[in-house]
Amino acid sequence: MTDTPEPDEIVEEPVAEAPEPEPEPEPEMVRADNVHKSFGSLEVLKGIDLVVKPGEVCCVLGPSGSGKSTFLRCINHLEKINAGRIFVDGDLVGYRERGGKLHELSEKDVARQRRSIGMVFQRFNLFPHMTVLDNVMEAPCRVKRESKSEVRERATALLDRVGLSSKIGNYPGQLSGGQQQRVAIARALAMRPKLMLFDEPTSALDPELVGEVLDVMKGLAQDGMTMIVVTHEIGFAREVGDNLIFMDGGVVVEQGAPRDVIGNPQHERTKAFLSKVL
Amino acid sequence: MSEQSTTERARPEAIKAVPVRHPVRWVSIAVIAVLVAMFVHLLLTNDNFRWSYIFVSYEEGKRGVMFTGPVLEGLRGTILLTITSMAIGIGLGTVLAVMRLSPNRILSSVAFVYTWFFRAVPRLILAILFGNLNILWSRIGFGLPFDEQIGKLFGIDNFNGQFYSIRAVDLLAGFVAGMLALGLSEAAYMAEIVRAGLQSVDSGQSEAAVALGMSRFQVLRRIVLPQAMRVIVPPTGNETIAMVKDTSLVAFVPVAGELWFQLNNISARTFVVFPVLVAAVIWYLIICTILMIGQYYVERHYGKGYGASARAKQRLRNIQVEQGGKITTTGETP
Ligand SMILES: Nc1ncnc2c1ncn2[C@@H]1O[C@H](COP(=O)(O)OP(=O)(O)O)[C@@H](O)[C@H]1O
Ligand SMILES: [Mg+2]
Repeated sequence: MTDTPEPDEIVEEPVAEAPEPEPEPEPEMVRADNVHKSFGSLEVLKGIDLVVKPGEVCCVLGPSGSGKSTFLRCINHLEKINAGRIFVDGDLVGYRERGGKLHELSEKDVARQRRSIGMVFQRFNLFPHMTVLDNVMEAPCRVKRESKSEVRERATALLDRVGLSSKIGNYPGQLSGGQQQRVAIARALAMRPKLMLFDEPTSALDPELVGEVLDVMKGLAQDGMTMIVVTHEIGFAREVGDNLIFMDGGVVVEQGAPRDVIGNPQHERTKAFLSKVL
Repeated sequence: MSEQSTTERARPEAIKAVPVRHPVRWVSIAVIAVLVAMFVHLLLTNDNFRWSYIFVSYEEGKRGVMFTGPVLEGLRGTILLTITSMAIGIGLGTVLAVMRLSPNRILSSVAFVYTWFFRAVPRLILAILFGNLNILWSRIGFGLPFDEQIGKLFGIDNFNGQFYSIRAVDLLAGFVAGMLALGLSEAAYMAEIVRAGLQSVDSGQSEAAVALGMSRFQVLRRIVLPQAMRVIVPPTGNETIAMVKDTSLVAFVPVAGELWFQLNNISARTFVVFPVLVAAVIWYLIICTILMIGQYYVERHYGKGYGASARAKQRLRNIQVEQGGKITTTGETP
């Protein structure tokens, strides 16, 4: 895994002949090809490959600092990758390939790509100065410029779905962590994303509040949402995940069906990690 | 008043304890009372205050010095100057703060140099400097360049292609010069305040907003600035109050339509000093008190979702919802 050759560096100006992705026979929601990412001299991702098919739930496990969050942030271009390619629903993320050259997408085009990728953060990051309903309505109204009444209807339905219809007029500061995270999920869903990214959505929660958030995520998975979930909840990964990858030191150490990886890990690092979290 | 308790156990007797005595508290109250009485006595009995000069009439057939025409004009000028220069300061200051935080090196250096210059030069000197800037240009305006020369080509003498122009002395003297001096200087201070406010907002906020597909301007306008306001408003209130007082500096531009200039004028003419000073104190007290009240409400507005008042409002809203009332979102969303 580590010894895959370095792909072409992403340079803003002319780039050497980029490997054309062959037209996929099967639809892929996410495709990461040999993704590299460095912060200064620190290489955090050292060649990540991943394919997530529509409707799949991919769980990402790994010790702290292994680059899980960074990888997730690369998928919606919150971080620029240094080499490799990431495709979401067939579109190259952050760039346009034309005549063998990579062109950076304009801020507007990147924003358009992000609209269809929902993200849920470890620390919720709800907007504290807006009510729960306004949090959910903000992006559809401002970004997609949808009609207010329509969005309000949809937002109310989403909040009902995550079990928070009674908290519509509250401010985030008045909610428990579990409630805030459920609002955050509703906020992301309000944009009707094709893909949802979860970065340790339950890690900041008191143990008794974890279940309510996982339940919402299970429901989403059952409804066919494509999800990439960074989590330490092994039970969730085993029950809901279609695929599991274990990352360590910026590489994918092991991947496969959750049952197999968790029940019968092949690599020492996976075993060591699982023995700590199980 | 039934003493019956629903539980088995009887309620114990209510506590009736002798409260702790606070002798120091009482002594200090007495001392303060005496001092206040002495002050009131001074105000009422000392003829040098000349209250009728201040409030009733300062000259034959004139109102009191506080309410006489030129002083009220000056008061209007002071308020107008405060508002306009603070508007320039806040607007330009916000732009400078955003420039300063921009990854673009040129923008951030420009903002840095601006702030450096205007913080270094005393306002008084700036005011005088701006009052004399018209030495550099005789007319300021916009229109066709080289209008006279073009006119000559077509045989018209003195062709004037200026759509609008004004003698520099008219524009860059008096009020406008004072406003610019104060406003541009204020922008340097406001830039620092706004920058601190923007930086106080958790980076997770803009990250979440960007991840939703919001543009950089939308993130600033809808997410970051409203939260930064909690940090920005209190020092801005102080700046505004300081500005009310600094407007008296424009007397050196010179600007005539300003409170202290007018009061001072009367003082010089009537040879009455102390009551005029008292009148000035009273006017500045009144303006600043009104501003402080305003500040309270602005702070409360931007504290939404954070403090006790938010909870109180929430209770009200829940009641409305329970009674089938419509949920009205506060703030700019209609
Ligand atoms: N913006 C950043 N600048 C510099 N280093 C970073 C940055 N973000 C993450 N890192 C580093 O990258 C490594 C991986 O971080 P992260 O992706 O957050 O790991 P994980 O989510 O698996 O715990 C860590 O060593 C972290 O210090
Ligand atoms: Mg992380």
